[in-house]
Amino acid sequence: MRIIIKKIAEFPSNFQSYFRDWISTFRAKVTVICLIGLSLVPLLTQNPYFLGIFTTFMIFTIFAASWDFLAGFVGQVSFGQAVFLGVSGYVTAYLIRYLSFPWWLSLVIGSIIAVIFGLIIGIPALRLKGPYLALGTLAMSLIMYQVFLMGSLATMWENAFGTNLFGAEGVSQITPISSDTVVEYFATFLIMSVSLLILTHITKSNVGTIFKAIRDDETGTSASGINTTKYKILAFMISGLFAGVAGGLFAMRFRGVNPGVFQPLYSFYAIIIAAMGGLATISGSAIGALIFVFLGEILRDTQDLSLLIFSIILILFIRFAEHGLLKPTLERIQELWDIVLGR
Amino acid sequence: MGVILEVKNLTKKFSGLTAVNDFSFEVRRGEFTGLIGPNGAGKTTLFNLISGHEKPSSGTIRFDGRDITGMKPHQIVNLGIARTFQLVRSFRFMTLLDNIAVSCLSPRGKKVAKEYGIDEYASSILAAVGLVDKARIPPIILPHGDLRKLQIGKALGTNPQLLLLDEPFSGLSHEEQKGITDLIIKLHDDGVTVFMTGHVLRELMHLVPRVVAMHQGKYITEGPPQEVANNKIVLEAYLGKGSEQLA
Ligand SMILES: Nc1ncnc2c1ncn2[C@@H]1O[C@H](COP(=O)(O)OP(=O)(O)OP(=O)(O)O)[C@@H](O)[C@H]1O
Ligand SMILES: [Mg+2]
Repeated sequence: MRIIIKKIAEFPSNFQSYFRDWISTFRAKVTVICLIGLSLVPLLTQNPYFLGIFTTFMIFTIFAASWDFLAGFVGQVSFGQAVFLGVSGYVTAYLIRYLSFPWWLSLVIGSIIAVIFGLIIGIPALRLKGPYLALGTLAMSLIMYQVFLMGSLATMWENAFGTNLFGAEGVSQITPISSDTVVEYFATFLIMSVSLLILTHITKSNVGTIFKAIRDDETGTSASGINTTKYKILAFMISGLFAGVAGGLFAMRFRGVNPGVFQPLYSFYAIIIAAMGGLATISGSAIGALIFVFLGEILRDTQDLSLLIFSIILILFIRFAEHGLLKPTLERIQELWDIVLGR
Repeated sequence: MGVILEVKNLTKKFSGLTAVNDFSFEVRRGEFTGLIGPNGAGKTTLFNLISGHEKPSSGTIRFDGRDITGMKPHQIVNLGIARTFQLVRSFRFMTLLDNIAVSCLSPRGKKVAKEYGIDEYASSILAAVGLVDKARIPPIILPHGDLRKLQIGKALGTNPQLLLLDEPFSGLSHEEQKGITDLIIKLHDDGVTVFMTGHVLRELMHLVPRVVAMHQGKYITEGPPQEVANNKIVLEAYLGKGSEQLA
């Protein structure tokens, strides 16, 4: 086929121009300001309690973004995101506690195991669509929960290896990233920034174009010559990787993990956060997580009520702000920005 | 010129209904062929079997001498068969440029596209189907005629040797039909083998030199459209629908 090639000048051709184009957008400026703002928080307060809340917020941001990537960009709605969180959390915690691995190595290995679980979940998920996928992944997290709770496994493991893995207690007494909460804060901040950067970049890359195509029309994507199976598994693995990163950080932040991390509740948290921020935005998860974590702290004394309140908030969002907070907020800020600049 | 597509004794049964019944025919390289038949004749099902979107109950399909029966859709596309759908499909929330880019990212499309860059190549295809000025908008706001063009553009992105067009004129105004006709003729002139369906014989009459006729899943006859239009069984098949549909 001969087609006359018509160049369109506006396409960025290399990273430099890609970056220059990106930074010139309004959204990029807000992102940079937010990142700078976050990096200044430890200057305002070194209070471990407050920094801890921020650290938690950043961990949940990564976790929710990993779900948003899978659901918002590839169209695969998982209710089992907690599996990745838990698996990596357990591996990270175990390696730190019993094998004295450095935290970063434990985190890397934990995340890699989560990627493998992404593969394990991804393969059966290929046959499931829509609500069946949601139910299938939900079932998987329930199975993990039950397995890790099993008393008989716990004694077997203890007799064989002399360590605690299974059982209600989980793996506890983990040393955090650093005893200095400021260091912990910055390590988490760096990991979150890089995670969001990579996820965002993937969604804008050629692979991201294929992911979005699968989301919009899977049959049409295969008719375009794309092996959708391969890309769906890849998407589950990428999502597993970042949920795993969140899981490892989570285990270190809370000094341990127990079977509770596999509960559907955690998958539900990821969904609430992503929905509050806005689906298919990646960075919207940051806004969602900020509200979620701070509201969670405020409602700390009413533990039983908090899930109810979050559920109500989710319903309100679905009803009144189905696009989440990120886009409308950016628009408001842009208006203000224009007014300030006198446009 | 050699045979590019060979369909032999192809049968597809849905529970209780035989949509394609022991169907055999050939398409030669570079040919421009139509497939006609009244509503429900089995044309779309035949296309689905060739493109791998449905598995045949029995029979074989050979492309370029190679048995492709039972292959997955993406494998078939990457051998060089692209198709469009009777009911338009698009990637609703992506720009037209990205809609085309998906095909250009298929292994077969990439071989050509990467020489020019994916975006440049995709935009050249948009230009070829007449949608380049709409490159940055999503298909949800396109009129139906443009969606039909987009279908063809998406197929072209995979750099096909054989193009299967399922009812490319359906739902179009006269004006829009003309645009698509010109486009298809241009593609055929460029060396693409074209095989297209239509249930209104008139649309195909002046376009293709040869048509294959199908009725109730069965092969009826083939030949120049004028001859086929006068075939007794073809006439009977269409008569229930009103003979004015004929040329
Ligand atoms: N997935 C399916 N399951 C059951 N029956 C089907 C299925 N797909 C098609 N059919 C039946 O097979 C027959 C042939 O349908 P097909 O869509 O192939 O006809 P067609 O020639 O393309 O018709 P049209 O001109 O309306 O597009 C019809 O009776 C249809 O109802
Ligand atoms: Mg049809």
